[in-house]
Amino acid sequence: MLQFSRFVAIRATLAVFTLVLVSFIVFSLMEMVPGDCAERYLAFKSSQGAVITAADIQAERVRLGLDQPYVQRWGHWIVNAFQGEFGDSCILRLNIRQLIGPKFWLSLGLCLSALLLAYAIAIPVGILAATSKNATVNNGLRFVSYLGLALPNFLLALMIMLFSTLVFGNSLTGLFSKEFRDAAWSVDKFVDFLSHAWLPVFILGWSATAFAIQTVRALMSDEVGKLYVTAARARGVSGRRLLMRYPARHALSPIINSLGFDLNRIFNELPIVALILTLTEAGSLLIEALARSNDQQLAGAIIFLLTASIVGINFITDIILALTDPRIRRSIIG
Amino acid sequence: MTRLLDVENLTLQFDTDEGRITAVDNVSFTLEAGEIMGLVGESGSGKSVTAKSVMKLNPSNAHYGPETKIILHLDSGPVDIMSLQQSKDLQVVRGGAISMIFQEPMASFAPAITIGDQMVEQLMIHTDMGKKRSKELSIEMLDRVGISDPSTRFGQYAFELSGGMRQRAMIAMALSTKPKLLIADEPTTALDVTIQAQVIDLMKDLVTEFGMGIIFITHDLGVIAQTADKVAVMYLGRLVEQGLVRDVIRTPAHPYTKGLLAALPSLDDLDAPLVAIPGDIPSPLERPGGCVFNTRCSDNLGARCGAEVPTESLLSSQHNVACHLYSEEAIK
Repeated sequence: MLQFSRFVAIRATLAVFTLVLVSFIVFSLMEMVPGDCAERYLAFKSSQGAVITAADIQAERVRLGLDQPYVQRWGHWIVNAFQGEFGDSCILRLNIRQLIGPKFWLSLGLCLSALLLAYAIAIPVGILAATSKNATVNNGLRFVSYLGLALPNFLLALMIMLFSTLVFGNSLTGLFSKEFRDAAWSVDKFVDFLSHAWLPVFILGWSATAFAIQTVRALMSDEVGKLYVTAARARGVSGRRLLMRYPARHALSPIINSLGFDLNRIFNELPIVALILTLTEAGSLLIEALARSNDQQLAGAIIFLLTASIVGINFITDIILALTDPRIRRSIIG
Repeated sequence: MTRLLDVENLTLQFDTDEGRITAVDNVSFTLEAGEIMGLVGESGSGKSVTAKSVMKLNPSNAHYGPETKIILHLDSGPVDIMSLQQSKDLQVVRGGAISMIFQEPMASFAPAITIGDQMVEQLMIHTDMGKKRSKELSIEMLDRVGISDPSTRFGQYAFELSGGMRQRAMIAMALSTKPKLLIADEPTTALDVTIQAQVIDLMKDLVTEFGMGIIFITHDLGVIAQTADKVAVMYLGRLVEQGLVRDVIRTPAHPYTKGLLAALPSLDDLDAPLVAIPGDIPSPLERPGGCVFNTRCSDNLGARCGAEVPTESLLSSQHNVACHLYSEEAIK
């Protein structure tokens, strides 16, 4: 137990260290964008008709603390970031935490749901595909999963929206109905959310599922051919028991290992899907922050949060692996 | 002696992407209870596949010839193994009446299940023992094969044991259900020479004690000479020679057997050059016609060897060879 706590502590430290490193990269990227927050805000002001002088810019810099040395500002930023504070948006002049907090959790929820959906389908289907001798089943699954890999998410989203508009007269966009959009959370709002959320989850899960089926199938085919499975058959173990206890049980570790990678993929696809479905969550806000308004403070916060989620899930899968795989467990817990 | 196993006209083909290949061609042999038979041949000669056929353990792309007959004689009566289709039916022989030990003990234990769990599982399938009794017997078996601190080893994983210990555990597991027949597929090839000797001695002792038959697969004629009662030599899916170990090793008849024996390094004469059998074992996709060995044979008689499959010639009551050199016409 003591050794396990030590293992968790070491992994947690490593995760934090990774995040600090990431924060440095993110912060440096924010700095490398030509112009700073003060210039950007005042340029925005000027476009609104205000008269701006060089002295105004300098005063704004001092007010935002941009005159301090680079490392000091990074230190300040990272200390705040770990507390969930990212300061104000450059352009919108709103607290970033308030601006994106709920949206970020929604995004994370959508991505995790898509991941869950992908593996809930991929694990049984992948096992079936790897063990089935039926050519029709195999070819059918192969076709569906190639379709999943080849058909881009945005195209699928557009197709579903088109279909829904033509048939039901509802384009299925957004995460909430109008009446709930600004309402406080309630049971009704949650139900309304679920009735909208299935579509982005489905679309995000679509290619993730196809990808996960390929992963599970490859891992299972690999395990099924191993000598220990033949040896178990030679001892009279058969049927479901053989399948679940031997190859499936042993394919689990690499599957758990691939979760972080898959979440990353889903996150990468989120902004495009969000844009098309006009979801007002973090993904589309990120694109907006980067492309439309050049809001580096906001973009940095979002990138940092997304990275933190992936570091987080990798930390969790490391712990799960340590608990489930005896080869790892024995080396750290004994 | 009581008959334990009859294998008659075993023919086995595999469907592969390149077409159907013949892995075993019309092989027949018998085994008595308490007898150790060595099955010898190079890699690819079909010896493992032959032994696995006895448990129908070959992969699903395997097709057995219609003439194939494998009968296992148990106390309860003969079992026609070819007629068993479902894995439930095959349970009687798999791990029950027949156990198998594989070449790589590390790879034949499931890595994430303890040795003990795998042993108990087998006992629960094949006996009516409860969990507690199965555990006791498993620990007792681990002790019997010379594993120190067996109750600790019971709860360990294969990766926590040394190579020799793993193979001992494998033997303990294989023998725990008191099988009538043990198939040992190169059980000592992956072990150090010193441990190899220990494991062979252990197997010989246990055979005497349990009174079971063993099919011992190896490419090492030295091991066979010390271990087996009789030996069958395979080449490219055919049985080319079989007989008592003494006869086959002292007076080998088939040019292939002679070649195998000549290829053994000798410690008596360190300057003697090693004599290899010329050429490589042909691909099963390009099986030579006639005698399968004719492409590498130093005594090739010419057209006849390339065209006609040699029949078995009896050299003595228990020693026979499939070679044209020993056919009636050739002897005349």
